[in-house]
Amino acid sequence: MEQKPLITDEVRALIGTKSPSSKVTLTRRGAERAMEVFRRHRERSLQEGDEAPACAIVALESEVDGVAIPQLMPDTLMVGDEWDFERPLVVGESLTGETVLADISERFGGRFGYAITVRTEFRLSDSRGRVVAKSVRTMMHYDGRTAEGTR
Amino acid sequence: MGPLRAASEGDELPLVEVLPNAEMVIRYCGLSWSFPSLFYDVDAARAQGMPGTIVPGPVKLGLLSQVVEQWLEGDGWVRGVRAANRRPDVVGRPLTVTGRVVSHRDSDSIEQADIELTVTNESGQTTVRGFATVEFNSDRPR
Repeated sequence: MEQKPLITDEVRALIGTKSPSSKVTLTRRGAERAMEVFRRHRERSLQEGDEAPACAIVALESEVDGVAIPQLMPDTLMVGDEWDFERPLVVGESLTGETVLADISERFGGRFGYAITVRTEFRLSDSRGRVVAKSVRTMMHYDGRTAEGTR
Repeated sequence: MGPLRAASEGDELPLVEVLPNAEMVIRYCGLSWSFPSLFYDVDAARAQGMPGTIVPGPVKLGLLSQVVEQWLEGDGWVRGVRAANRRPDVVGRPLTVTGRVVSHRDSDSIEQADIELTVTNESGQTTVRGFATVEFNSDRPR
């Protein structure tokens, strides 16, 4: 059955949408919990003012609202992600976080059949408005009932 | 070799074997306050075309950054790390992370290196292709 594109002009217009920005603080506890995910909390204990490992950005992402995306397909899978830093995050610092819907595109064929990919950027800015870190995610939206998947 | 000696193209990072288990996934879900069922519910994961409950993408990205940071031994920091997830990784199955310096540059007192990273599953399949850029601390021995 031929798949009709689901990305309409209305959906495309969502590109560039931003969440409300929020003040976030990288607490010692948050940074250490991020390290605990990877069992790294025994490597060293953190104090305020210490440079945090890259994974600490995860502790801040959930503090900021995401961008509402229409549920065009039933299932979702992360196909790519990245963290970028202009400098290391510092334990105890406060930053401004926001999420941006950076792109929406579609793909026909492949292991998952028709799929929509959505790229979002979580940005952390300092008091001067300079972006100091980003977490970029590319999510694939697909239909697991018809996907060959990876079994 | 670690970066205490000058990093150069072709240097291999120490191979790291990891076992992303349910505890790791639960901790990640709690930290991120994100609970997609395909991370912990086998039936839900299979209904979504997955071979079992799968390791969240950011956990694998975190593992890549961990391998790089451990190689740095505190003599630098990760400017960027990215992952292209080629295949889902099933929770509880071992993974191997390898890395190799593919580019090294030193200009205006800023020393950086690019590292190619690979995650391989127990069947020898590449499940993640990764890439990291690191910046070495300016006061480290060269």
